[in-house]
Amino acid sequence: MKHSGCAVNKERHFSCEDCNGNVSGGFDASSSQIVLCQNNICNQAHMNRVVTHELIHAFDHCRAHVNWFTNVRHLACSEVRAANLSGECSLVNEIFRLHFGLKRHHQTCVRDRAILSILAVRNISKEVAEKAVDEVFESCFNDHEPFGRIPHNQTYARYAHRDFQNRDRYYSNI
Amino acid sequence: MADSGGWRPPRPCETYRAEWEFCRSARHFLHHYYVHGKRPACEQWLRDLASCRDWEERRTAEAQRSLCESEQARVQAARKHTLVWALRQSPPADWHLPLPQEKDK
Repeated sequence: MKHSGCAVNKERHFSCEDCNGNVSGGFDASSSQIVLCQNNICNQAHMNRVVTHELIHAFDHCRAHVNWFTNVRHLACSEVRAANLSGECSLVNEIFRLHFGLKRHHQTCVRDRAILSILAVRNISKEVAEKAVDEVFESCFNDHEPFGRIPHNQTYARYAHRDFQNRDRYYSNI
Repeated sequence: MADSGGWRPPRPCETYRAEWEFCRSARHFLHHYYVHGKRPACEQWLRDLASCRDWEERRTAEAQRSLCESEQARVQAARKHTLVWALRQSPPADWHLPLPQEKDK
């Protein structure tokens, strides 16, 4: 985030609040603030996933002209990326949700959770949300910025960070 | 691609070795199959490791060319999909501004 010009200050860019329903968090683009739902986040692992998810939205807001409120495809793209890169679609998390599948199941989870996230914040039909997600899926699922890979666990995250630290050498020698 | 005089492999050779071994691990196979539905392709990391070691030992033009081509292909593969949105030239102007209620204090 800092490298992209949006250094995060936890007092300014995070807010812990009580939320309605079972929403875990959100990114408010109008105030550039991440909201964490303190009454719905259950444990540290959940907290880590929610923070990562919302930081993906913040990162997209920082690096791109995302029309959060007027372009459902833009919203869909960021939700696909957040579901893909936050860890919420890991095999273990899906098993806990009683969603069983192995071959390419990650993509099914990302699609389904992106649609749910859109419906939680927009008053649109499920069909409109599904259409938007399906239209942007191939592009946005394969956009792994800023990691360069899907960070399934700390090992992947460590390798991604190593690549980030090596970026100057990398791009000056290819 | 920089001139040979100042050029070095885009990644340290140790990184190519680590990526190859990680790619071949059972854990990565499982993650890759869960995401893509097929086994990962790790052979290119091994070819890059060989090119990197060749460069370290003999400074061959072939080793440099091979590594550059391989990494350029990786970059192209990562960028092949058209972005849904336009990228910014600069971050949002209001990112660092105080929240509206703080301005009233």
